[in-house]
Amino acid sequence: MLENRQFKIFISIVFIQLISSKQVFAYLDPGTGSYIFQVLIAALIGGLVTIKMFWRKIINFIKNFFSTKH
Amino acid sequence: MDTLIKRISSSFRDPCGFLFVEDGNLFRSVNILYQKNYDHLIQSGLYNKLVEDKLLISHKEVHLSGIDHDSIYKIIQPDLVPFISYPYEWCFSQLKDAALTLIKIQKQALEYNMILKDASAYNIQFYQGKPLLIDTLSFEIYKNNHPWVAYRQFCQHFLAPLSLMASSDIRLGQLTKIYIDGLPLNLVSKLLPISTWFNFSLLSHVHLHAKAQKRYGKKTSSFAVPNISKQSLFALINHLESTITSLNWLPAGTEWVEYYEDTNYSQEATNHKKQLVETYLSQCKASTVWDLGANTGVFSRIAMQKDADIIAFDADPAAVEINYRHVRENKESKILPLCLDLTNPTPAIGWANKERLSLAERGPADTLLALALIHHLAISNNVPFGHISAFLSEICHFLVIEFVPKNDSQVQRLLSTREDIFYHYTQEHFEAAFQNNFSILKRDKICTSQRTMYLMEKRNEL
Repeated sequence: MLENRQFKIFISIVFIQLISSKQVFAYLDPGTGSYIFQVLIAALIGGLVTIKMFWRKIINFIKNFFSTKH
Repeated sequence: MDTLIKRISSSFRDPCGFLFVEDGNLFRSVNILYQKNYDHLIQSGLYNKLVEDKLLISHKEVHLSGIDHDSIYKIIQPDLVPFISYPYEWCFSQLKDAALTLIKIQKQALEYNMILKDASAYNIQFYQGKPLLIDTLSFEIYKNNHPWVAYRQFCQHFLAPLSLMASSDIRLGQLTKIYIDGLPLNLVSKLLPISTWFNFSLLSHVHLHAKAQKRYGKKTSSFAVPNISKQSLFALINHLESTITSLNWLPAGTEWVEYYEDTNYSQEATNHKKQLVETYLSQCKASTVWDLGANTGVFSRIAMQKDADIIAFDADPAAVEINYRHVRENKESKILPLCLDLTNPTPAIGWANKERLSLAERGPADTLLALALIHHLAISNNVPFGHISAFLSEICHFLVIEFVPKNDSQVQRLLSTREDIFYHYTQEHFEAAFQNNFSILKRDKICTSQRTMYLMEKRNEL
């Protein structure tokens, strides 16, 4: 249930990012598909990195908790 | 005024500036359009940091009398890279190092609130043994929440060929010669093995990226750029870096890479040959040496001791790979190993066939080394001596060449599966043909061998 909620939040963030956007001009053609894909994949990877860091903190907390108990 | 400036033929895409030659020196104009970005690059300290880390070419600002154009903000004179090489001439690790260099620059630029506005592999050159960004105008001020304009270009110029070389076949790197703006991702996606769909990095940056290009590629209405946080952008850049780092290729088992272990040379003959090469190179006092068929660079390193700049060409990507790894490990700044098939040398490609130069256009070298090569050209590839001599005379002043006679076991091996139609493959015909273009300065028989070494000098054309 919680996972489903998190997924909905993630999709909403990506959607908000997609609609709250502006025009850009570059001499290089960034490619529409590449642009959209970049945002999606960056959000996903960025999210995974955050989760990984958060997870590490939990593991460290548990490790520290037990080592201090000893 | 613009028509008076001799622009470099490859410098026309970026409106921020262009390269030109004046009195034999290379300059880059920084156009008014780029003023804000250029000032930020210099004043933020990014330029100094990158030059200090040997990641960006150093330059000095100059004033050229006679060049005063409304659209020009400044003229800069970059350090000169002695030999311009192209991605299709690089081995796997050279392309990989070039990609990682660009990523390193991108991360550094973001720290200084700038970002790379292009990620062309042609903007990287090997200078003193290391990859270096040569386009000073590749940076722009980072706009908050903007995606990376050059993400597509980075994937197509670096990730696509590297993934093909690592996962499919090393020879697919040559596709970069056909697709000058990087490999189409839908083609790469088709060519990669199915197993790469289970690799998250390649699945995302190649396969799904290609699908997204197909899905949104035909949108023609004005396009609104989606937002991307700086944190997410950093995560993307780090992920690209780890993706590139994870791609590997080990050279093994190709035709030439075991060549030195498989010759009919005695140790005495090898030593004598090395000694002759050394004596000849001392005589011609070469500052640039092209070693054709250099293999892993055994003889190139003799030229290195003479303080020459050496380009060590070989057709075998494995030999070039081994040579480059040696250069990198030993920090040899004078040798640049490159892939080149002499029977089909690098052509001029790109717009009007002038954007990327052919091999001959990037010469001539002071001295050519053509050791244990003649039989491969004349017999394996059926090129007459006269044609070989004429082409070599176009790309050098001095020529150090080894003649390998027909009774040599290496030549016999080439002839073992075919009819011997090479009636003119004799030392007399060889000398006669080469004397049309060269004067023979020295001729020495290699001891305990049937082979002969020559030092020749190009004849002056009347």
